[in-house]
Amino acid sequence: MSKTRKLTFISLLVAQALVLHVIERAIPVPFITPGAKLGLANLVTVIALYTFGFKETFAIVVLRIIMAALLGGSLSSFLYSIAGGILSFFVMFVVMQLGEENVSAIGVSVAGAVFHNIGQVLVASMIVQNIRIVSYLPVLMVAGLGTGIFIGLTARYLITYVKKLISYGIN
Amino acid sequence: MKRFDIVIIILVVIIALGSLGVLAIRPQGNYSRKYVEIYSENRLYRKIPFDKTTTERVVVKSNLGFNIIDISNAKVRIIDADCPDKICIKDGAISKPGDMLVCLPNKVVVEIKGESNSENDALSF
Repeated sequence: MSKTRKLTFISLLVAQALVLHVIERAIPVPFITPGAKLGLANLVTVIALYTFGFKETFAIVVLRIIMAALLGGSLSSFLYSIAGGILSFFVMFVVMQLGEENVSAIGVSVAGAVFHNIGQVLVASMIVQNIRIVSYLPVLMVAGLGTGIFIGLTARYLITYVKKLISYGIN
Repeated sequence: MKRFDIVIIILVVIIALGSLGVLAIRPQGNYSRKYVEIYSENRLYRKIPFDKTTTERVVVKSNLGFNIIDISNAKVRIIDADCPDKICIKDGAISKPGDMLVCLPNKVVVEIKGESNSENDALSF
């Protein structure tokens, strides 16, 4: 893939992640537990992991979080996002190394969702200096399981088409 | 669904339900005294003895914003706040030692703590 083409795809994915982020913010949180959300932007991270490599996906995650913060958000919400985002990205990358025959986008995205929650809860407990905030984690994990499966299923459908699109681009 | 998808999902379920179980059966103990501790910006703001008859309304104000905490009918709840998400209000009422209400944007933590009679300060878990 040429450099320009790659840059264009990366920018497209960042833009899509931002749109998903904005849409998600407009959806009222259906859960009572703080921090529970759909994690729609994670869909883009999963797709990027399957279509690009480590470096590009990392760039997409960091760019998305910085730009989302610029679109409206406080310093602390940026800290939650960056901790959750980077932790979940690393975990998803590691889980992917199990091999495509062993794990699908569903497992990758569930692991990502759960570790996103773990990262956020850790930052939250650091901010208010109270480790007992982690008692929110079990409920968040169950929520993350649900949203992770949903995002994973969606990603699985999309990845087939995105891959076709990209290989079409090369030829 | 592949092999490790199922392993990951089962692991998450086991860890989540296991820790929920541990939290549910945490020892309630016989506390002779209970307190409501209110923290604002990581500092203890008020410590209020808490029993069935406690009726108090506390306004926590800081540079970050305000939270109004209502203690009545052996329950503690946050009834108003200027934080954007109002999660602390939606969290509802707490009543047992170890329970907590958190407002992250305003850095307010409300905790119920128990203290038993023994000299070495007991804690709530």
